Amino acid sequence: MPNLLEVDDLYVGYDEADVLSGVSLKVKPGKITCLLGANGAGKTTLIRALLALTPTRQGKIFFDGEEITHQATHNIVRLGISTIPEGRRVFPKLTVIENLLTGAILEKNKRKIGSRIEEVLKIFPQLSDRKKQLAGTMSGGEQAMLSIGRGLMSAPRLLVIDEPSLGLSPLFVKENFKVIRSIKERGITVLLVEQNVKQTLEIADYGYLIAQGKVVASGASAELNKTDQVQLAYFGSKQ
Amino acid sequence: MLLGSLDQYLINGLVLGVIYAMVAVGFTLFFGVLNVIKFSHGDVLMAGAFAALIAYISLQNFVSISIWMMVVITTTFAFAAMALFGAIVARFLVLPLRGAPPLNTLLITLMLGLAVREAVRLFYPNGSNPKPFPKLLPDTDIFIFGLEIRHDSLIIIFGGLAAICFLHLLIKKTRLGLSIQAVAQDSETARLMGINFQKIVLGTFALGSGLAALAGVLNGLYYNEINFSMGLLLGVVGFSSAVVGGLGSILGAIIGGFLFALLQTIGAIWFEVPAYKDVFAFVVIIAVMAWRPTGLLAETKSDRV
Repeated sequence: MPNLLEVDDLYVGYDEADVLSGVSLKVKPGKITCLLGANGAGKTTLIRALLALTPTRQGKIFFDGEEITHQATHNIVRLGISTIPEGRRVFPKLTVIENLLTGAILEKNKRKIGSRIEEVLKIFPQLSDRKKQLAGTMSGGEQAMLSIGRGLMSAPRLLVIDEPSLGLSPLFVKENFKVIRSIKERGITVLLVEQNVKQTLEIADYGYLIAQGKVVASGASAELNKTDQVQLAYFGSKQ
Repeated sequence: MLLGSLDQYLINGLVLGVIYAMVAVGFTLFFGVLNVIKFSHGDVLMAGAFAALIAYISLQNFVSISIWMMVVITTTFAFAAMALFGAIVARFLVLPLRGAPPLNTLLITLMLGLAVREAVRLFYPNGSNPKPFPKLLPDTDIFIFGLEIRHDSLIIIFGGLAAICFLHLLIKKTRLGLSIQAVAQDSETARLMGINFQKIVLGTFALGSGLAALAGVLNGLYYNEINFSMGLLLGVVGFSSAVVGGLGSILGAIIGGFLFALLQTIGAIWFEVPAYKDVFAFVVIIAVMAWRPTGLLAETKSDRV
């Protein structure tokens, strides 16, 4: 099967320094692909380059066979990529429902929007009691639910999730991983960026380990778990 | 002070309040979506009034146009012309400066305002002198709750309020409004939702500038006279109103506009010398700003539009 997303020899940097130097990766449809690495390895930069929030210096990015390297962000999103950004980034002065509606801003069919809202509220029943609450006044865990729900509202083909467990309680982190697995079961392809190696590899099908702007290990999750680099990264992050 | 003229002060204050609020809302919109202060706003108001006047002069020979039709056509033309101008300014002057310090945008638009003002003075026939603005609205009196009110004042007040309410509904209830709010609160995440950032910025500038044109037309209809420098004071008053209400908040801008008109009215009644009313209003505004530096409806970092 062809890859849904393909990154080919990507160079991205700020000012003089390259943050990513020659990163290549493939995301297979219907699978969870994870991007592991310590803080500052370049994971978020890769995601930003993918979505054209940070300009690419060299290399190519393909989505479903179409080159998207230098397109505008909103045009890339239009192709069916949805993002749950790092730090949730819900719109603080919009209500829960309005936040969900921003996720479906490209969808014109009101019936579809309505049924997607229902679906999201079914996944996160806690949100249904707070439809009119301003997102900025909710707890971190609730904002995380809202951000995931907002990401699902566009019925994406690829869902990019950037550090979902950052700043959440262990209990909620576990809950989060369950939700991500259920997203995959809906047939949505997931690109998951994480520092939490063990739990991530448990749910991911494929993984890439990034260190200092380069892919240092990659492969199926089960195999990746055994490699030295991951062991090192795992114990490294444990400290 | 004659008690009998108090209702005149009240009506006059309401008219001014509506006009100030319309100008202030523009400042707050621009600041909300792009974090910039566009100082040519007052001169856009003036240019809008002149656009309406030009439309009127070109059409007045067609006898078949009724007076109400004339109001609609001239107002629409002024709105459309300034909306287009606002979008062009945003595209070619404000957006390219996005990476630069906000002060640069403020200075450049200040100069743009000057250019617009001087252009009208130089290129409009006999532009240095005040121009009569057509009396399109009936000036007959009606009595409401014992108040003697002219029809035209009433129409101006309700027309302005309707425009503000319409804008409010547009922002709170439509897809475009949702996009504007999203861009104002977090432009990067808004782009991740698929919102075309540039389109929304241009739309917002068009909307704010069109609103300023409406304010200019209402101002002309009320005083039946316009001049090339009318935007100077109105721009400063609108900006002060937006700041005192809390820059970035639409409700704050509306409150600020009416507050300023109230202060002017109090000043006018109190001092009897008309020139003191602006001094009084600005002194109070300065005092309020010293007391609440972020405005009456204080804006937190995310509290936009």
